[in-house]
Amino acid sequence: MKAHWLKTIVTTAVVLLGLSTAQKLTFWHYWDGANGQVLQGLIERYQKEHPGVTIEAVFVPGGELLTKLQTAITARQTPTMAISDLVAMPLLTRSGALAPLDDYIRQSNLNLTDYFPGPLVYGLYQGKRYSLPVSASNLGLFWNKNLFRAAGLDPNRPPRNWDELLRFAKQVKEKTGKWGLELFTQGGEGTTWQTQVYFWGAGAEFLNANNTAPAFNSPQGVRALQFLVDLVQKEKVAPVAPWGLFGRGEAAMVMDGSWMTQFFPQQVSFELGAAPFPFAPGGRPATNMGGEQIFIFQSADAATAKAAWDFINWFSSTPVQVEWDRGTGFLPVRRSVANDPAYRAWVSNARPLMRPFVDSMAFAKPRPPVARYPQISDIFAKYVQEALLGRLSPKEALERAAQEVAPLLR
Amino acid sequence: MNGVRLHKVPSKASRWGRTLGEWPAALFFLLPTVAVLGTFNFYPALYSLYLSLFEWNGLSPTREFVGLANYARLLASGEFWNSLRVTLLYAGGVTLLALALGLGVAVLLNQPIRGQAVYRVLYFLPVITPTVASGVVWKYLFDPTQGVVNRGLVGVGLEGPSWLSDPSWALVAVVVVGVWKRVGFNMVVYLAALQGIPKTYYEAAQLDGADSWQQFRYITLPLLAPTTFFLVVTALIDAFQVFDLVYVMTSGGPLGSTDVLGYYLYRQGFRYSELGFASAVAYVMFALIFLVTVIQFRLTRGGQGDA
Repeated sequence: MKAHWLKTIVTTAVVLLGLSTAQKLTFWHYWDGANGQVLQGLIERYQKEHPGVTIEAVFVPGGELLTKLQTAITARQTPTMAISDLVAMPLLTRSGALAPLDDYIRQSNLNLTDYFPGPLVYGLYQGKRYSLPVSASNLGLFWNKNLFRAAGLDPNRPPRNWDELLRFAKQVKEKTGKWGLELFTQGGEGTTWQTQVYFWGAGAEFLNANNTAPAFNSPQGVRALQFLVDLVQKEKVAPVAPWGLFGRGEAAMVMDGSWMTQFFPQQVSFELGAAPFPFAPGGRPATNMGGEQIFIFQSADAATAKAAWDFINWFSSTPVQVEWDRGTGFLPVRRSVANDPAYRAWVSNARPLMRPFVDSMAFAKPRPPVARYPQISDIFAKYVQEALLGRLSPKEALERAAQEVAPLLR
Repeated sequence: MNGVRLHKVPSKASRWGRTLGEWPAALFFLLPTVAVLGTFNFYPALYSLYLSLFEWNGLSPTREFVGLANYARLLASGEFWNSLRVTLLYAGGVTLLALALGLGVAVLLNQPIRGQAVYRVLYFLPVITPTVASGVVWKYLFDPTQGVVNRGLVGVGLEGPSWLSDPSWALVAVVVVGVWKRVGFNMVVYLAALQGIPKTYYEAAQLDGADSWQQFRYITLPLLAPTTFFLVVTALIDAFQVFDLVYVMTSGGPLGSTDVLGYYLYRQGFRYSELGFASAVAYVMFALIFLVTVIQFRLTRGGQGDA
């Protein structure tokens, strides 16, 4: 009986001591469902391996995280660290609320050259790095093998360039009466980020090299938009219609995201293929990219910030990232993960459709990291729609878009 | 009549005298309401007015004071005028159509017909259906190939447009849903008003040989005028603030054809992080709605609009 009491007292004392010296980190994120569980599992393991560090992961719904961060920053009530969609990073890096990571990166010998170049673009502001990529997704081609077969095409051979894309699409339309290709024509960022893939694939740039002026109104850009307009207006192989035709088997090909390698197989009743997205003859392979970045807030004191960095460094390490990407289906942000034998084996066995998306990371391009990107994107999408509907010529549409975008970059 | 009334109203002095002693108690009881309204309504509203004088993205540590530049930019923006035009079209369309339909349905349901209560419930259902849910369902109904609307049109030999993707039809589709949601409310209010019209008027008209159209035109309509007025004003105020329906159905597109002021404001504030500019939009919207309300007060004071 006495021994029992003693044990309780000693345990309590140890726990209290532990609490007083413990590092408590708060971490805001929007990874829900299975992704959230994988994160929680990793955090628990990290806490076990690093006694004295407690990480309180707070889930905030995706659409609300930026607003909540804005409120937190204005009220000076920030968490220790957080993630954000990479599109919001330009706003966050300019807020003055994030801590630069360069010293930590140097001290920890974190090899940035192992990262794919695309996602790394977002954390940089005025020569300093404020965030690290921790997940990625990108766009590729999905095709309906049943429709290819019905059209007399080889069901296992995707189009490799625009000539083939158009030829296959026409053949599908002729032989089956279904649409050859589905485009996202509903405007907004959905239209912009798909259209950018065609622009980059034709050798056009979206903005100039230092992001101070629009560049999409180049001859290559006009050529890319002309190709899309022809698909709709001249060849009539793609409609201006609400999204979802491909999933219902009404269109043979579509550009969609790496995450759909998980969802399409559960949703569709036909055989699927996936490939890197075709590019213009004489152009270059290109795709667009999404993902999350992780960062530490300036408000954290030195010891807390260091503890947060140690977690980020651990989370970013190749073995943990392999586990993370396998659990979530996110694409690797590091080459060592993409080339990891265990990761490659998992892709081949569990997610064969994801292979082309993993391969596309090497040429995935970032959307320009400018603060007013959302406005620029809406303007660009509006003029793409004008062109697709045949109300403006591609050249005129892009010129007008450039005129409206230019003042937002000054 | 007037004299009797005046007699009951205490004079100014005695009114103040009596309440002066009750001030502390009154304040005490008002405190919770004042605190809640002040914190969550008045303070944010005034702060938003203040913010409309700044350029601020919600994150940067500094705000640049720009005076009335946000308002100037707003008035010079083609998108704003488009948005205002779309809002007026939407508000006008929904108000007039829902008024006519609501009156029609109310007159029909005012007759002794079987299952009257069931019809009343059915017509009122859209009013209490959450807007977001109805928007999602209508989006499916308007699908160009799969949707019920176009399939029905094919049934009668017509080819329906690609409703929500076509800049010339998207606003029509949104107005249809807006009307669908409003008719039930108008119907209920009209029904109540119809039942308040004394039967004797109609009996007298019948004796004078008025047919049913003449009875409707010269008895029903004029006696419903205050109700109609009330419904027009509330519908306009309601329609000026439309946001959720547009957010769910079209996101303001295609090509800004459904970009109502509520959505325009949302885009500026929450998609573009232009909090100062968005606050200016909010105050312009406020001014418009205020104008409608003032007109309402003016006209009701002159007329007999007590509905």
